[in-house]
Amino acid sequence: MTTMKRLLTYLTIPLALLTSCIGEEEFDNSCNGNFEALWQLIDEHYCFFAQAEEEFGLDWNAVHDKYKPIADTCRDELILFDMLGNMLGELRDGHVNLSSMFGTSYYWDWQLKEPMNFSDSIQRGYLGTDFKMTNGIKYNILPDSIGYVYVGSFSGGFNTNNLSLMLYNMRECKAIILDIRNNGGGKITAAEKLASIFIKEQIHYGYMQHKTGKGHNDFSAPEPLYLEPSEGARWLRSVVVLTNRGVYSAANHFVLIMRQLPHVAIIGDKTGGGSGMPLNSTLPNGWNVRLSACPTLDLDYRHTEFGIEPHIKVDITSEDWNNGRDTIIERAKALIFDYYSKKEEQEG
Amino acid sequence: MRILRLITTALALLAMPAMSRAQYVVTDTIMPQRIVVKGSQIGVTLLNNLDTYLSNYNHKGIGLNYSHETFRDARTGNYRWKYQRLFNATAGYATQGRNMQFTGLISQSWSGYHPFKITKGLTLLAGAQIQLEGGALYNPSNGNNPAAAKLRTALAATGMAIYHFPVRRSEWIARYQLDIPLMGATFAPEFGQSYYEIFGLGHAKGVVAFTHPGNNPSWRHMLSLDIPLKARQRSTTLRLSYIADLYQSRINDINCHIYRNTFAIGFARTILKVKKNNRLNDYSPY
Repeated sequence: MTTMKRLLTYLTIPLALLTSCIGEEEFDNSCNGNFEALWQLIDEHYCFFAQAEEEFGLDWNAVHDKYKPIADTCRDELILFDMLGNMLGELRDGHVNLSSMFGTSYYWDWQLKEPMNFSDSIQRGYLGTDFKMTNGIKYNILPDSIGYVYVGSFSGGFNTNNLSLMLYNMRECKAIILDIRNNGGGKITAAEKLASIFIKEQIHYGYMQHKTGKGHNDFSAPEPLYLEPSEGARWLRSVVVLTNRGVYSAANHFVLIMRQLPHVAIIGDKTGGGSGMPLNSTLPNGWNVRLSACPTLDLDYRHTEFGIEPHIKVDITSEDWNNGRDTIIERAKALIFDYYSKKEEQEG
Repeated sequence: MRILRLITTALALLAMPAMSRAQYVVTDTIMPQRIVVKGSQIGVTLLNNLDTYLSNYNHKGIGLNYSHETFRDARTGNYRWKYQRLFNATAGYATQGRNMQFTGLISQSWSGYHPFKITKGLTLLAGAQIQLEGGALYNPSNGNNPAAAKLRTALAATGMAIYHFPVRRSEWIARYQLDIPLMGATFAPEFGQSYYEIFGLGHAKGVVAFTHPGNNPSWRHMLSLDIPLKARQRSTTLRLSYIADLYQSRINDINCHIYRNTFAIGFARTILKVKKNNRLNDYSPY
């Protein structure tokens, strides 16, 4: 009998292991179920709770309590969508969105509550009508041999040849003004490709982490980020990068790299931030959620989620705005003149 | 005396080729060296997928399945062992609400069995299996985490029951196989790790995990019925199968299950293989 019992035990343990189904806690497809599912998804995966608490006192449990009564009484999908969008807005993160058949919820305050510091009408006066364009990058040569390059997005797929041709066309320029204002991001790889034409050797420019568990502080050790120089043409003369609050995500990543280069100056307004690489998931009703999951840190292990300060803070003045003059571009030109006049003085 | 011994030795040497030939002609029946059963099937798969790296909810759908099996006597152990090679490919489409998910998985397993004859019609087989599987679940609506790659290998315990039974004038074969992975290794990103970090930046430390029934309780059941196309002839059979491939894992707080229930139809052929250097020409009645 004892042997029989032992045999049964030996058979039962592996069978119990095997027959256990691996699943996930499923919320029902109701207003309340979708609310709880979204709250928990953010609670387990979002990566900036500590920074949000420090920056503006976010308490995610309090957010649950605030929206729970609305979820309890909600009976309509449209109301649910608005309510869940508002709840995500509490994170004040442009990378956190909810997508459904009703559209996509966005948090825009990081940009729209700040000075615009960019006007494409004013920019047209500098760029002219004879500008060149390569895969979304517009460029022209301003008077006094200063190259002006506008990169409005990193969503495009410019390649090394495009960038080499651009530098060839600007070979007579003494400096480049690289305008990335209102660049809301795109591909990190595109941002890195552009930055790689401004370095001559591998650089270490920051760190990246990811969540290792469901706790708010479960993070991997920061892994260093390196950038290799471009295999095509490279620009090692002066560069002035123009920024405003519309510089976000991959564009913020670009500034993170460029800020460390000795021949680069960042001028304009603080960037919009968005340093967390977003990942996606879904709710019981099939709506898609995007949330920041993998934070990027600078060389001093500081988060850049809420933006990167420029070297020189410049806003477009009301007077210049009314006169069709871009204060930030003018300041960049003055900076370049100043640099070269000092250099000439030193060289005698 | 010496001359007599020399003559005897010479006669013996001359007779040797004839003697060795005589060994060949003990029987003129050529025994097959190996019996190989090859079967191919196509089927319809019902999918139920969960991978919390992509979504916390089940995606259910349908797919196509192709499988090919080779089952033969193994050379090792004086042909007392059986060897099975099984290839399986699944391509499918599943949904959760408006979200789509594509499934593509290819697997191959190599098994060795020792048979135990229980009754005249029933044979039980037990053995070991090496499994290799690769593929991905792909959610096009996910931005930076559109896919969950699957690459794993495992050492599994495997068992089989083969039952021959007469139906009218022919012999049908029912077969049940169970495979249970016992230990192995699998590609497993960390909870919130992006593939950009792993493949773009090379931050790949720790993305291979050791698997065991505790974190990877999976099994595969296969039930098949071979029906001869002609009575008293078993060389070609119609094969009907049900395959329940139930893969599960819980690694780095990422829960995954890929349940595939496949109903397949195909043909199996029994081939009697004769050794190449033992062809009919080598045999002589004389």
